[in-house]
Amino acid sequence: MKKGRIYTVVFMLIVSAVFTLLLAGADAFYRPKIEENDLLAERTAILYVFDLDQSGSSAEILERFEKNIKQTSVSGVELYEYASAEGETIAWAVPFTGAGLWGSISGYMGVSPDLDRITGLVFTNHSETPGLGGRIDELTYREQFRDLQITAETTLAYGEDGGGQIDAITGATSTSNAVLRILNQLLDDTISKLEVANNG
Amino acid sequence: MAEKIKEVISRNVWKENQVLRQILGICSSLAVTNLMTNSLVMGLGLTFVTAFSSLTISLLRNAIPHRIRMIVQTLIIAAYVILVDIFLKANMTDISNALGPYVGLIITNCIIMGRAEAYAQKNPPLISMLDGFFAGIGYTVVLLIISLFREYLGFGTIFGFDANFLGFETWTIMVMPPAAFFLIGALIWITSNIFAPGKGKKS
Repeated sequence: MKKGRIYTVVFMLIVSAVFTLLLAGADAFYRPKIEENDLLAERTAILYVFDLDQSGSSAEILERFEKNIKQTSVSGVELYEYASAEGETIAWAVPFTGAGLWGSISGYMGVSPDLDRITGLVFTNHSETPGLGGRIDELTYREQFRDLQITAETTLAYGEDGGGQIDAITGATSTSNAVLRILNQLLDDTISKLEVANNG
Repeated sequence: MAEKIKEVISRNVWKENQVLRQILGICSSLAVTNLMTNSLVMGLGLTFVTAFSSLTISLLRNAIPHRIRMIVQTLIIAAYVILVDIFLKANMTDISNALGPYVGLIITNCIIMGRAEAYAQKNPPLISMLDGFFAGIGYTVVLLIISLFREYLGFGTIFGFDANFLGFETWTIMVMPPAAFFLIGALIWITSNIFAPGKGKKS
Protein backbone atom coordinates (compact mmCIF):
# COMPACT_ATOMS: atom_id res chain seq x y z
CA MET A 1 0.00 0.00 0.00
CA LYS A 2 1.49 3.31 -1.12
CA LYS A 3 0.93 6.15 1.27
CA GLY A 4 1.23 9.83 0.53
CA ARG A 5 3.45 12.34 2.26
CA ILE A 6 0.62 14.10 4.05
CA TYR A 7 -0.61 10.79 5.40
CA THR A 8 2.88 10.03 6.71
CA VAL A 9 3.14 13.34 8.53
CA VAL A 10 -0.36 13.19 9.96
CA PHE A 11 0.16 9.60 11.07
CA MET A 12 3.38 10.46 12.87
CA LEU A 13 1.76 13.44 14.58
CA ILE A 14 -1.19 11.38 15.79
CA VAL A 15 0.98 8.51 17.05
CA SER A 16 3.28 10.96 18.86
CA ALA A 17 0.34 12.79 20.42
CA VAL A 18 -1.32 9.60 21.65
CA PHE A 19 1.82 8.21 23.25
CA THR A 20 2.85 11.54 24.74
CA LEU A 21 -0.57 11.81 26.32
CA LEU A 22 -0.29 8.29 27.69
CA LEU A 23 3.09 9.01 29.27
CA ALA A 24 1.98 12.37 30.65
CA GLY A 25 -0.95 10.61 32.27
CA ALA A 26 1.24 7.92 33.85
CA ASP A 27 3.67 10.56 35.07
CA ALA A 28 0.93 12.67 36.64
CA PHE A 29 -0.52 9.59 38.30
CA TYR A 30 2.75 8.44 39.86
CA ARG A 31 4.28 11.89 40.52
CA PRO A 32 3.25 12.17 44.21
CA LYS A 33 4.54 8.68 44.96
CA ILE A 34 7.88 9.33 43.24
CA GLU A 35 8.29 12.63 45.09
CA GLU A 36 7.59 10.84 48.35
CA ASN A 37 10.29 8.27 47.51
CA ASP A 38 12.74 11.05 46.64
CA LEU A 39 12.07 12.80 49.94
CA LEU A 40 12.62 9.56 51.82
CA ALA A 41 15.89 8.94 49.96
CA GLU A 42 17.07 12.47 50.77
CA ARG A 43 16.21 12.14 54.46
CA THR A 44 17.82 8.71 54.71
CA ALA A 45 20.95 10.20 53.16
CA ILE A 46 21.03 12.95 55.78
CA LEU A 47 20.57 10.40 58.57
CA TYR A 48 23.60 8.58 57.13
CA VAL A 49 25.68 11.77 57.23
CA PHE A 50 24.94 12.07 60.95
CA ASP A 51 25.63 8.36 61.47
CA LEU A 52 22.07 7.83 62.71
CA ASP A 53 20.18 4.58 62.23
CA GLN A 54 18.75 4.42 58.69
CA SER A 55 16.83 1.18 59.06
CA GLY A 56 13.13 0.65 59.56
CA SER A 57 9.99 1.51 57.63
CA SER A 58 9.63 4.80 55.81
CA ALA A 59 7.39 6.13 58.59
CA GLU A 60 10.05 5.32 61.20
CA ILE A 61 12.77 6.96 59.14
CA LEU A 62 10.75 10.13 58.66
CA GLU A 63 9.87 10.22 62.36
CA ARG A 64 13.52 9.80 63.39
CA PHE A 65 14.39 12.61 61.01
CA GLU A 66 11.72 14.94 62.43
CA LYS A 67 12.83 14.20 65.98
CA ASN A 68 16.55 14.87 65.55
CA ILE A 69 17.06 17.10 62.57
CA LYS A 70 15.82 20.48 61.50
CA GLN A 71 16.44 22.63 58.47
CA THR A 72 18.00 25.92 59.41
CA SER A 73 20.37 28.61 58.28
CA VAL A 74 23.70 29.37 59.93
CA SER A 75 25.43 32.62 58.87
CA GLY A 76 23.62 32.54 55.56
CA VAL A 77 24.30 28.88 54.83
CA GLU A 78 21.22 26.72 54.38
CA LEU A 79 21.85 23.40 56.14
CA TYR A 80 20.40 20.62 58.25
CA GLU A 81 21.17 20.67 61.94
CA TYR A 82 21.34 17.61 64.14
CA ALA A 83 20.72 18.62 67.75
CA SER A 84 20.40 16.71 71.00
CA ALA A 85 17.16 16.76 73.00
CA GLU A 86 18.63 19.65 75.04
CA GLY A 87 19.04 21.70 71.89
CA GLU A 88 22.81 21.36 71.67
CA THR A 89 24.12 21.12 68.12
CA ILE A 90 25.83 17.80 67.43
CA ALA A 91 26.56 18.27 63.73
CA TRP A 92 25.59 20.08 60.56
CA ALA A 93 24.90 18.61 57.13
CA VAL A 94 25.91 21.08 54.45
CA PRO A 95 24.58 20.54 50.91
CA PHE A 96 26.94 20.75 47.95
CA THR A 97 26.75 20.64 44.18
CA GLY A 98 29.63 20.68 41.77
CA ALA A 99 30.82 19.48 38.40
CA GLY A 100 31.66 15.79 38.19
CA LEU A 101 33.03 14.03 35.14
CA TRP A 102 29.76 13.74 33.20
CA GLY A 103 27.28 15.85 35.12
CA SER A 104 26.86 17.58 38.41
CA ILE A 105 27.40 15.74 41.67
CA SER A 106 25.34 16.79 44.66
CA GLY A 107 25.14 15.55 48.19
CA TYR A 108 25.72 16.44 51.81
CA MET A 109 28.80 16.67 53.96
CA GLY A 110 28.39 16.49 57.70
CA VAL A 111 30.70 18.55 59.94
CA SER A 112 30.92 18.86 63.68
CA PRO A 113 30.09 22.35 65.03
CA ASP A 114 33.76 22.79 66.04
CA LEU A 115 34.62 22.18 62.39
CA ASP A 116 37.34 19.75 63.40
CA ARG A 117 35.73 16.62 62.00
CA ILE A 118 33.77 15.43 58.96
CA THR A 119 30.94 13.31 60.32
CA GLY A 120 29.97 11.71 57.03
CA LEU A 121 29.61 12.14 53.30
CA VAL A 122 26.74 11.21 51.01
CA PHE A 123 25.86 11.75 47.36
CA THR A 124 22.23 12.29 46.50
CA ASN A 125 22.58 12.77 42.78
CA HIS A 126 25.27 12.14 40.19
CA SER A 127 25.63 10.77 36.69
CA GLU A 128 29.07 9.16 36.92
CA THR A 129 29.85 5.96 34.99
CA PRO A 130 28.17 2.99 36.68
CA GLY A 131 30.79 0.58 38.00
CA LEU A 132 33.61 3.13 37.78
CA GLY A 133 32.95 6.67 38.98
CA GLY A 134 29.54 5.51 40.14
CA ARG A 135 31.33 3.63 42.90
CA ILE A 136 31.54 6.86 44.91
CA ASP A 137 28.15 5.67 46.16
CA GLU A 138 29.68 2.58 47.69
CA LEU A 139 30.25 2.54 51.42
CA THR A 140 33.91 1.54 51.04
CA TYR A 141 34.54 4.92 49.46
CA ARG A 142 32.21 7.05 51.55
CA GLU A 143 33.13 5.52 54.89
CA GLN A 144 36.67 6.86 54.43
CA PHE A 145 35.28 10.30 55.18
CA ARG A 146 33.49 9.21 58.32
CA ASP A 147 35.04 10.99 61.36
CA LEU A 148 37.88 12.38 59.28
CA GLN A 149 39.79 15.00 61.29
CA ILE A 150 40.06 18.40 59.64
CA THR A 151 41.32 21.87 60.52
CA ALA A 152 40.57 25.26 59.03
CA GLU A 153 43.58 24.83 56.73
CA THR A 154 42.83 21.27 55.61
CA THR A 155 42.90 20.57 51.90
CA LEU A 156 41.70 17.03 51.32
CA ALA A 157 44.02 14.87 49.23
CA TYR A 158 44.26 11.20 48.36
CA GLY A 159 46.96 8.82 49.42
CA GLU A 160 50.13 10.00 51.09
CA ASP A 161 49.49 13.68 50.33
CA GLY A 162 46.45 13.51 52.55
CA GLY A 163 48.14 11.52 55.29
CA GLY A 164 47.00 8.19 53.85
CA GLN A 165 43.48 8.57 55.17
CA ILE A 166 41.48 8.53 51.95
CA ASP A 167 42.02 6.67 48.70
CA ALA A 168 40.75 7.42 45.22
CA ILE A 169 38.79 4.84 43.22
CA THR A 170 40.97 2.83 40.87
CA GLY A 171 39.97 3.43 37.26
CA ALA A 172 37.91 6.48 38.14
CA THR A 173 40.53 9.17 38.61
CA SER A 174 38.51 11.99 37.08
CA THR A 175 35.49 11.36 39.27
CA SER A 176 37.64 10.89 42.38
CA ASN A 177 39.42 14.17 41.73
CA ALA A 178 36.16 15.95 40.97
CA VAL A 179 34.77 14.85 44.33
CA LEU A 180 37.78 16.21 46.20
CA ARG A 181 37.67 19.45 44.23
CA ILE A 182 34.02 19.91 45.15
CA LEU A 183 34.66 19.08 48.80
CA ASN A 184 37.69 21.34 49.08
CA GLN A 185 35.75 24.18 47.55
CA LEU A 186 32.96 23.49 50.01
CA LEU A 187 35.44 23.62 52.88
CA ASP A 188 36.93 26.89 51.63
CA ASP A 189 33.80 28.74 50.61
CA THR A 190 31.03 27.49 52.85
CA ILE A 191 32.35 25.65 55.86
CA SER A 192 34.70 28.55 56.60
CA LYS A 193 31.67 30.83 56.93
CA LEU A 194 30.34 28.56 59.63
CA GLU A 195 33.61 29.05 61.48
CA VAL A 196 33.08 32.79 61.57
CA ALA A 197 29.60 32.21 62.94
CA ASN A 198 31.00 29.88 65.55
CA ASN A 199 33.61 32.30 66.88
CA GLY A 200 31.51 35.41 66.68
CA MET B 1 -3.58 -21.78 16.41
CA ALA B 2 -2.42 -24.11 19.19
CA GLU B 3 0.28 -25.45 16.85
CA LYS B 4 1.36 -21.92 16.10
CA ILE B 5 1.56 -20.95 19.76
CA LYS B 6 3.64 -24.04 20.50
CA GLU B 7 5.95 -23.10 17.66
CA VAL B 8 6.28 -19.54 18.97
CA ILE B 9 7.13 -20.78 22.45
CA SER B 10 9.71 -23.37 21.48
CA ARG B 11 11.29 -21.07 18.91
CA ASN B 12 11.62 -18.06 21.22
CA VAL B 13 12.51 -19.76 24.47
CA TRP B 14 14.72 -22.49 23.11
CA LYS B 15 15.56 -23.01 19.45
CA GLU B 16 16.18 -19.40 18.54
CA ASN B 17 16.76 -17.99 22.00
CA GLN B 18 17.44 -14.30 21.59
CA VAL B 19 20.54 -14.21 23.75
CA LEU B 20 22.08 -17.61 23.11
CA ARG B 21 21.24 -18.19 19.46
CA GLN B 22 20.67 -14.71 18.05
CA ILE B 23 23.28 -13.05 20.29
CA LEU B 24 20.96 -10.12 20.94
CA GLY B 25 20.53 -8.20 24.19
CA ILE B 26 24.04 -9.10 25.32
CA CYS B 27 24.73 -5.69 26.85
CA SER B 28 22.11 -5.97 29.57
CA SER B 29 22.80 -9.69 30.04
CA LEU B 30 26.31 -8.73 31.06
CA ALA B 31 25.30 -5.76 33.15
CA VAL B 32 22.45 -6.77 35.43
CA THR B 33 23.16 -10.44 36.08
CA ASN B 34 25.09 -10.25 39.35
CA LEU B 35 21.90 -10.54 41.40
CA MET B 36 18.94 -12.77 40.59
CA THR B 37 16.37 -10.21 41.75
CA ASN B 38 17.74 -7.58 39.37
CA SER B 39 17.82 -10.08 36.53
CA LEU B 40 14.24 -11.11 37.16
CA VAL B 41 12.95 -7.54 37.22
CA MET B 42 14.97 -6.62 34.15
CA GLY B 43 13.65 -9.71 32.36
CA LEU B 44 10.05 -9.00 33.31
CA GLY B 45 10.43 -5.36 32.29
CA LEU B 46 11.77 -6.41 28.91
CA THR B 47 9.08 -9.08 28.52
CA PHE B 48 6.39 -6.49 29.21
CA VAL B 49 7.87 -4.02 26.74
CA THR B 50 8.43 -6.60 24.00
CA ALA B 51 4.94 -8.07 24.37
CA PHE B 52 3.09 -4.76 24.31
CA SER B 53 5.22 -3.06 21.69
CA SER B 54 4.77 -6.11 19.45
CA LEU B 55 1.03 -5.98 20.06
CA THR B 56 0.81 -2.26 19.33
CA ILE B 57 3.02 -2.42 16.26
CA SER B 58 1.06 -5.36 14.93
CA LEU B 59 -2.24 -3.54 15.46
CA LEU B 60 -0.90 -0.55 13.56
CA ARG B 61 1.03 -2.58 11.00
CA ASN B 62 -1.27 -1.78 8.08
CA ALA B 63 -1.49 1.90 8.98
CA ILE B 64 2.22 2.54 9.51
CA PRO B 65 3.77 4.06 6.39
CA HIS B 66 6.60 1.75 5.36
CA ARG B 67 9.19 4.49 5.11
CA ILE B 68 8.85 5.68 8.69
CA ARG B 69 8.12 2.33 10.32
CA MET B 70 11.36 2.26 12.30
CA ILE B 71 10.74 5.68 13.80
CA VAL B 72 7.25 4.60 14.81
CA GLN B 73 8.58 1.37 16.31
CA THR B 74 11.18 3.21 18.32
CA LEU B 75 8.57 5.70 19.54
CA ILE B 76 6.25 2.93 20.69
CA ILE B 77 9.05 0.98 22.37
CA ALA B 78 10.34 4.12 24.09
CA ALA B 79 6.86 4.93 25.41
CA TYR B 80 6.53 1.50 27.02
CA VAL B 81 10.04 1.64 28.46
CA ILE B 82 9.31 4.99 30.09
CA LEU B 83 6.15 3.49 31.55
CA VAL B 84 8.20 0.68 33.09
CA ASP B 85 10.73 3.20 34.39
CA ILE B 86 8.06 5.36 36.02
CA PHE B 87 6.42 2.29 37.53
CA LEU B 88 9.70 1.02 39.03
CA LYS B 89 10.59 4.46 40.39
CA ALA B 90 7.24 4.71 42.13
CA ASN B 91 6.85 1.19 43.45
CA MET B 92 10.25 -0.49 43.60
CA THR B 93 12.76 2.22 44.47
CA ASP B 94 15.58 -0.14 45.48
CA ILE B 95 15.43 -2.11 42.28
CA SER B 96 15.06 1.07 40.26
CA ASN B 97 18.29 2.35 41.83
CA ALA B 98 20.08 -0.95 41.29
CA LEU B 99 19.10 -1.16 37.64
CA GLY B 100 19.86 2.52 37.20
CA PRO B 101 20.38 3.49 33.58
CA TYR B 102 19.75 -0.03 32.27
CA VAL B 103 15.97 0.37 32.38
CA GLY B 104 16.21 3.31 30.01
CA LEU B 105 18.53 1.24 27.87
CA ILE B 106 15.79 -1.36 27.28
CA ILE B 107 14.86 1.02 24.45
CA THR B 108 18.02 0.09 22.61
CA ASN B 109 17.72 -3.62 23.36
CA CYS B 110 17.88 -5.24 19.95
CA ILE B 111 15.48 -8.01 20.96
CA ILE B 112 12.47 -5.68 20.97
CA MET B 113 13.27 -4.00 17.69
CA GLY B 114 14.17 -7.40 16.27
CA ARG B 115 10.80 -8.89 17.15
CA ALA B 116 9.02 -5.78 15.88
CA GLU B 117 10.78 -5.87 12.51
CA ALA B 118 10.94 -9.62 12.05
CA TYR B 119 7.54 -10.62 13.36
CA ALA B 120 5.05 -8.01 14.54
CA GLN B 121 5.32 -6.02 11.32
CA LYS B 122 3.96 -8.98 9.33
CA ASN B 123 1.74 -10.97 11.71
CA PRO B 124 -1.65 -10.55 13.42
CA PRO B 125 -1.74 -8.86 16.86
CA LEU B 126 -2.35 -11.73 19.24
CA ILE B 127 0.34 -14.05 17.95
CA SER B 128 2.74 -11.10 17.73
CA MET B 129 2.14 -10.32 21.36
CA LEU B 130 2.83 -13.94 22.30
CA ASP B 131 5.94 -13.90 20.15
CA GLY B 132 7.19 -10.79 21.96
CA PHE B 133 6.20 -12.22 25.31
CA PHE B 134 8.07 -15.49 24.83
CA ALA B 135 11.09 -13.77 23.33
CA GLY B 136 11.20 -11.85 26.62
CA ILE B 137 10.74 -15.04 28.63
CA GLY B 138 13.62 -16.66 26.75
CA TYR B 139 15.77 -13.66 27.61
CA THR B 140 14.66 -13.78 31.26
CA VAL B 141 15.49 -17.48 31.55
CA VAL B 142 19.01 -16.93 30.25
CA LEU B 143 19.51 -13.98 32.59
CA LEU B 144 18.33 -16.06 35.52
CA ILE B 145 20.66 -18.94 34.66
CA ILE B 146 23.64 -16.60 34.43
CA SER B 147 22.72 -14.74 37.59
CA LEU B 148 22.13 -17.97 39.49
CA PHE B 149 25.77 -18.89 38.92
CA ARG B 150 27.04 -15.39 39.52
CA GLU B 151 25.04 -14.71 42.66
CA TYR B 152 25.56 -18.14 44.19
CA LEU B 153 29.29 -18.27 43.56
CA GLY B 154 29.83 -14.57 44.15
CA PHE B 155 27.70 -13.90 47.23
CA GLY B 156 26.67 -17.40 48.34
CA THR B 157 23.02 -16.37 48.10
CA ILE B 158 20.03 -17.14 45.88
CA PHE B 159 17.52 -14.31 45.44
CA GLY B 160 19.22 -12.68 48.42
CA PHE B 161 18.72 -15.68 50.73
CA ASP B 162 21.80 -17.24 52.24
CA ALA B 163 22.34 -20.60 50.55
CA ASN B 164 26.03 -21.16 51.16
CA PHE B 165 25.57 -24.54 52.85
CA LEU B 166 28.92 -25.81 51.67
CA GLY B 167 30.67 -22.90 53.33
CA PHE B 168 32.91 -22.12 50.38
CA GLU B 169 34.80 -18.89 49.95
CA THR B 170 32.79 -16.59 47.63
CA TRP B 171 34.44 -15.56 44.38
CA THR B 172 34.56 -11.82 44.03
CA ILE B 173 35.18 -12.11 40.30
CA MET B 174 31.72 -13.62 39.84
CA VAL B 175 30.11 -10.33 40.89
CA MET B 176 32.32 -8.33 38.58
CA PRO B 177 31.62 -7.85 34.86
CA PRO B 178 34.21 -10.37 33.52
CA ALA B 179 32.30 -13.32 35.01
CA ALA B 180 29.33 -12.55 32.79
CA PHE B 181 31.57 -12.86 29.74
CA PHE B 182 32.79 -16.30 30.82
CA LEU B 183 29.31 -17.54 31.60
CA ILE B 184 27.59 -16.20 28.51
CA GLY B 185 30.45 -17.53 26.41
CA ALA B 186 30.11 -20.95 27.99
CA LEU B 187 26.34 -21.00 27.55
CA ILE B 188 26.57 -19.96 23.91
CA TRP B 189 29.20 -22.64 23.36
CA ILE B 190 27.02 -25.33 24.91
CA THR B 191 23.86 -24.31 23.05
CA SER B 192 25.58 -24.03 19.69
CA ASN B 193 26.90 -27.54 20.18
CA ILE B 194 23.36 -28.74 20.78
CA PHE B 195 21.80 -26.93 17.84
CA ALA B 196 24.51 -26.75 15.26
CA PRO B 197 27.07 -29.43 16.03
CA GLY B 198 30.05 -29.27 13.75
CA LYS B 199 29.03 -25.94 12.28
CA GLY B 200 31.96 -23.57 12.05
CA LYS B 201 34.51 -26.37 11.87
CA LYS B 202 36.86 -26.03 8.95
CA SER B 203 36.18 -29.45 7.41
